[in-house]
Amino acid sequence: MISRVAESCFWLHRYLERAECVARMLGVNRLFLLDVTVAPEDRWLPLLTVTGEQSRFASLFSESAHLDGELVQDYLTWNCDNPVSIATCIQWARENARQIREVVGLEMWETINAIWQWLQNTRTRKLYYSDRDGFFRHVRDTVSTVHGVCHDTLLHDEPFDFMRLGMLLERAGQTARALDARHHMFGGDARDISAADAPAETAQWMALLRSCSAQDPFARWARGAPTRADIVKFLLKEESFPRSVLHCIDRAGNFLGRIRSRQKSHKGTELTAGLARIVEPLRYKPIATILEEGLHDELTRFISGLAEVSDGVGSEFFGPGLPEELA
Amino acid sequence: MASAQSNTEGSGEGRRKSRKTESVFSGYFPYPSAYDELFNADGSVRPEVEGPIRLLDTIGRAQFKARQRLADSAFLKGGITFSVYSDQRGTEKLMPFDPIPRLVTGDVWDRLSRGLVQRIRALDAFLGDVYGRQRILEEKRLPRDIVEASAGYRKQLAGIVPRGRVFIHVAGVDLIRGPDGSFAVLEDNVRTPSGVSYVLANRTVMKRVFPSVFTQSAVRSVDAYPVRLRDALGSLSPRKAGEDRLVVLTPGPFNSAYFEHSFLARRMGIDLVQPSDLFAHDDKIYVKTTAGPSRVDVIYRRIDDEFLDPTVFREDSVLGVPGIVKAYAAGNVTLANALGNGVADDKAIYPFVPEMIRFYLSEEPVLAQVETLICAREADCKRVLQNLGKMVVKAVDASGGYGMLMGPTASKPELAEFANRIRANPRGYIAQPRIELSTCPTWTGKSVEPRRVDMRPYVVSSGEPWVLPGGLTRVALVDGSYVVNSSQGGGSKDTWVLETSSS
Repeated sequence: MISRVAESCFWLHRYLERAECVARMLGVNRLFLLDVTVAPEDRWLPLLTVTGEQSRFASLFSESAHLDGELVQDYLTWNCDNPVSIATCIQWARENARQIREVVGLEMWETINAIWQWLQNTRTRKLYYSDRDGFFRHVRDTVSTVHGVCHDTLLHDEPFDFMRLGMLLERAGQTARALDARHHMFGGDARDISAADAPAETAQWMALLRSCSAQDPFARWARGAPTRADIVKFLLKEESFPRSVLHCIDRAGNFLGRIRSRQKSHKGTELTAGLARIVEPLRYKPIATILEEGLHDELTRFISGLAEVSDGVGSEFFGPGLPEELA
Repeated sequence: MASAQSNTEGSGEGRRKSRKTESVFSGYFPYPSAYDELFNADGSVRPEVEGPIRLLDTIGRAQFKARQRLADSAFLKGGITFSVYSDQRGTEKLMPFDPIPRLVTGDVWDRLSRGLVQRIRALDAFLGDVYGRQRILEEKRLPRDIVEASAGYRKQLAGIVPRGRVFIHVAGVDLIRGPDGSFAVLEDNVRTPSGVSYVLANRTVMKRVFPSVFTQSAVRSVDAYPVRLRDALGSLSPRKAGEDRLVVLTPGPFNSAYFEHSFLARRMGIDLVQPSDLFAHDDKIYVKTTAGPSRVDVIYRRIDDEFLDPTVFREDSVLGVPGIVKAYAAGNVTLANALGNGVADDKAIYPFVPEMIRFYLSEEPVLAQVETLICAREADCKRVLQNLGKMVVKAVDASGGYGMLMGPTASKPELAEFANRIRANPRGYIAQPRIELSTCPTWTGKSVEPRRVDMRPYVVSSGEPWVLPGGLTRVALVDGSYVVNSSQGGGSKDTWVLETSSS
């Protein structure tokens, strides 16, 4: 397929996934703060950390501006200078879709266009102020609709593979970053937690699970009182959970494999190896070891490795096809 | 369950009918000076279109308004837009759509269709001749100086024969209807005519908004267009079907017709490419793909000649593919439309089309056309300058309603300024009498009033021209206006070709 189109497919889904993750995080955090008393420092800052927007936000407003929850929410939802705000992500998702309308098809285009139009509507602004929860929920629901329409109406061939690849790489990164940010807040020691001895902390971990849509699946999987090791293990390693890091990377590897199988050359071999390399420690190290050696370091390694793979997808498949390749 | 539902619907229909509602067309009266597409001069419905008009009429104004809102939201949801360069933020605008269709009976259409086929065959033959032996110039049936002065005539292309000898793969011919109800050709568009996507999109929306009117009126379908176009393009490929690659070439998402480019690519199931996706190598054209470069055989290009290849035409073009003309000349890629077609739809060449029909086809023209004065001719120019206030003057190489003077409505300074422009560059202008364009009932938001319309049917050809049964009816939404171009505040209507006959 045309390289430029492949690139748009890839980014279309990255932006959709990003918008959905930000919406879910914001929604969960709001409800979480209604339940629990948290130090002002810890109320909204983790969200800026997860999205990597801490320093831009501080320089745009002030060092202590993160104490203002409304400002943080506004920044992560509407701010057009913020590259990861919901509005920006949806704008770019739509722009990518608009450039490949002939590829995404009418139904998928209409669902994406509908979210964008909804965000432009003044009534949506009113909804944001009157029913914040409903607002975030609507963003999540409509992105899910796009995924459903995409899965059920597109040909499952190369454009679809690039979309899924983009979505899965983004999702793996989001889960890893969410885990890292919460982990930070507790200093990173390895003691077990239980609902009895640390209620606030448990609520934090529960919020983390919710922000990854993992509360119910985790409950079915863990069955007993949640321990921190369990939660980390579930989000990192549980292959049956569709947002776990390992699940996402494995699936991304499958889609990469499908893309590679259509190539005449050996394009993408290095990428498959790269993916295997970055998840290897997560796959084989026991969770106790990971916690002992330091979860933050492990996640940092993973996140930077993931960025390299992402860049590699760009240079392998979206780079210019030049006459030299014509041999 | 199903029957209960249909009962409810039935009684709802009954209630609507029994309630006293204002009918859609009540109080409608055509302009006295113009032909009305749907109504007689005395305000009665034309008998040949009575069926569908009665159906629309009985919907009632309240329902009609609701359906119009539905149509608007369907356009918005579909992102059926054209881009406006001047607008910074919302760069996309909806084309205003009027839900009252323009109706043409089958027999009238069939005659139009014959005329269009004839015209496109003659224009195609003319292009082959003008870039070949130039018989028509040798035999002085068309003045050489007018051809050579045409901005669309490209000497560099002499001797290049496109595949299948086809120059015009897609044409849009603008037709108007005078006070006596007869159609005439206003201009030909054989370079990159746009608008056909609106014909298809309008129809989709109309079917959704007025399903009952459709089911009870036999309207010819417009759905075949993308398949016809794909077949025409595919049949002119340098390589075998199945091995070949067809693409639509767009300048990019900021082009005003981008919606159409992507719409056609999607409906034909072929790739939409931008210039930067293509490159030339060894006189062949390749597209950059995830699996490396891949050969391209047929390009339905929506970029004008002068921007297409900076090595041959405008050097400053950033929209071009360097080397594409050489690949075309070598016969390794088919371009649709062919290069150099601008000479055939030049407004100063237009007066000679009837002569072309006689010269190349030995036939008499089926379609009339508008009397045209060529300012390049001294006698004509004198007449134009003397009667400027009665004429419509057009720049020969402009389109979209730009660079034109409406004499009867222009101010004195405007007339004087235009007279100077004509004196400075007589070759640049032609003039026509202002025709009383026909009108069609149009919804103004409160009531239905007459508004002027034209019509652009579309012709697809790979040798044997085929006319899409339908077309873009453009409507001047401002009361009394004659300008129908979408860039100048015009809207569009669906055009229904009915199976019925007018006699």
